[in-house]
Amino acid sequence: MDAFFVSVEELFDPSLKGKPVVVGGKHDERGVVSAASYAARKFGVHSAMPLRTAYQKCPQAIFVPGHPERYKEYSGRVYEILQRFSPRVEMASIDEAYLDMTGTERLLGSPLQAAHKLHQEVKAATNLNCSIGIASSRLVAKISSDQAKPNGVLYILPGLEASFLAPLAVAKIPGVGKVMNQKLQEIGIRRIGDLAAMEERDLERRFGKWGLALAGKAHGEDAGGWFDSEIGERSDPKSISHEHTFGEDTRDPVRLEATLTHLSEKVARRLREHGFRTRTVQLKLRYSDFTTITRAQTLPEPTQLDIDLAEASRKLFHDHWNSRQTVRLLGVHISGFTADETQGNLLDGGRSERWRNALEAADKLRDKFGESAVGLGSGMRGHYRERVQENPAALPGKAPQKPA
Amino acid sequence: MEFSVNKADLVRELSLSQGVVEKKTTIPILSNLLLEARGDRLYITATDLELGLRTSCPAKVRKEGSGTIPAKKLLDYVRLLPDAEITVKFAENNWASLTCGRSRTRIAGMSRESFPELPAMPEDAQTLPAKTLAAMISRTMFAISMEESRFTLNGALLLIGDRGLTMVATDGHRLAYTQQDAETTAPSNVAYRALVPRKAMGEITKLSDGSTDESVVKFAGDDNHLFFEFGPRMLITRKLTGNFPDYERVLPQENTNIATLSKDEVKSAIERVAQFADERSRAIRVQFATGEVKIFSSSLETGESEESVPSQYEGPELEIGFNAQYLLDFLRAVPQDQIQFALKDQKSAGELQPAGEVTGQYRYVVMPMRI
Repeated sequence: MDAFFVSVEELFDPSLKGKPVVVGGKHDERGVVSAASYAARKFGVHSAMPLRTAYQKCPQAIFVPGHPERYKEYSGRVYEILQRFSPRVEMASIDEAYLDMTGTERLLGSPLQAAHKLHQEVKAATNLNCSIGIASSRLVAKISSDQAKPNGVLYILPGLEASFLAPLAVAKIPGVGKVMNQKLQEIGIRRIGDLAAMEERDLERRFGKWGLALAGKAHGEDAGGWFDSEIGERSDPKSISHEHTFGEDTRDPVRLEATLTHLSEKVARRLREHGFRTRTVQLKLRYSDFTTITRAQTLPEPTQLDIDLAEASRKLFHDHWNSRQTVRLLGVHISGFTADETQGNLLDGGRSERWRNALEAADKLRDKFGESAVGLGSGMRGHYRERVQENPAALPGKAPQKPA
Repeated sequence: MEFSVNKADLVRELSLSQGVVEKKTTIPILSNLLLEARGDRLYITATDLELGLRTSCPAKVRKEGSGTIPAKKLLDYVRLLPDAEITVKFAENNWASLTCGRSRTRIAGMSRESFPELPAMPEDAQTLPAKTLAAMISRTMFAISMEESRFTLNGALLLIGDRGLTMVATDGHRLAYTQQDAETTAPSNVAYRALVPRKAMGEITKLSDGSTDESVVKFAGDDNHLFFEFGPRMLITRKLTGNFPDYERVLPQENTNIATLSKDEVKSAIERVAQFADERSRAIRVQFATGEVKIFSSSLETGESEESVPSQYEGPELEIGFNAQYLLDFLRAVPQDQIQFALKDQKSAGELQPAGEVTGQYRYVVMPMRI
């Protein structure tokens, strides 16, 4: 999707159109930019940049807090359309997806015809622009869709992948970040073509497995890292976490506890979506001076209940918090998943059954009316404005996101 | 120390002690047996600190004394000797020499000083029928929790009253309860109550092998230990501490829908159908209808299966999910030919019992699965 968050904001407030817009929060707030409009990007504002830095670069920008529910809603609408085009859809982030179009030619026509149809249908259903890259690998499709922006379709014919990539900067390769880019520049590799000209063995000697993956990527192959599964293949998470940085550092125990409860609710909700139970709860605690501790606890029995996780994380917090110090950030991380339990419990007097029913109902309400529709009383004071990243650290995530 | 023993006697006692010897080698002395020659007997002691076994066999003692010797090595070797008399002699340096016919062997032992002292049995022991105790263990032991973190469920509750014995085990999903009238010498009407660890129950079963209806076990408990004395052999176990769940609350009161079935028929049917149950959950669906009980399974990977078993059943039609393994555990343990399945509804615990006139009680409660 092109400038997805900003475009959605423009649908609700057309006066934003064409202006420098920064989504993420107020200009003097703690936190980072979720998305920036094309006009703001001209000033050097980009996502993941601290809001205050964005303000320095572009003081005239309009700062809006962002509406995660709206983005999820629109992302969901797009997802519905995508599913009509291929049974194999992988949402790489809230505004990016891969479709495996193998075998759809008789139904949808040539790749370009299908892409045009998709482009039109997305526009018709959402009034949003998107860009589509068509290629024989996810890597080239991703890069070509970037090149097609804004509002374009680009088809890289099979066989021409390497020559399409050659003139582009190496940083265009997903996974080549600041550090890697720097290292490549040092040995004189600036363009993907330079990389493609390198001997595989030299790259491997220099960068290990990553070198081999890079060599493949330079030729347009989905080598290593993020692209090693089939499109739409569901990969189960190994851990789930949520964390929150306070607007102002705090040592108010009620507020801190409430935040932990709320974070626990959020991780438990995702845990249930995946149909798992968890056994290990980890607390992350960062003080104002940035000292960070993590402490984990193994539960006596696997659970997927909000209250169990909230209780465990609050206990960890009280066991380890130095109450003289103010807290900057809290996080709840869970791991050690096992499949959902279908066996009833004989000894808890129906407690887990009652909670399961209650949470099932609560989850339905959240699906329908949003995440804050219903929650634990003790977590109410811990609610915070949710932030979402449009296309976060420049990398396509592998995990398909479940659209709201 | 020097003594001679009959090979068969020694092998029999050594075999019994193997289950008690520490398997891990963190404390080397616990892999050893303590041998003591005194009077006209050889006393053998094994312990892993949780469990201890003291047993004995006749011996010709030439010089009284004691020493320790690696348990597994000793049994492995002695088992291979011919049926004859074995002479054992301990040297000052803790080495033991074994002589049997034309075989001569020296085994490295360890000083007996580091071998832990086992507690002595309290005076106020009572007697229990050994065969009954073993039978009660076989009816409950399978329901003990394998989750080590749930330590109060890692054993069975033993209640000794003046009218008999009660044993209860549960893993939180099912519960096995058995009550047997028995002549006990329980002193008052306040029942003696103790949690017996699973491992000790296994050893009791072995020690009561060959018991007759008259065989008794002397039983006593102190603050931390339980003592079971089978003639010349005594098993000592640490008690499990903690609160066992209130099992009486779990025993169903309102399960009025009763299906009566032939144990062998329903057992075979479940065994077959369960081949196509999900491997992890072992879930099967059991449908109760007038005149028959139907059992279904299906698994995405392997296929599906169903069977019908004739049954006397008058209640409303019910379909309930169960873990096949849980049902089979009971069906394999219950001695009677006819069993009863008592139900309330799809979500409440079901209860299995032997049907008809039964001496003593056996009740097995199973929580359903969501289907």
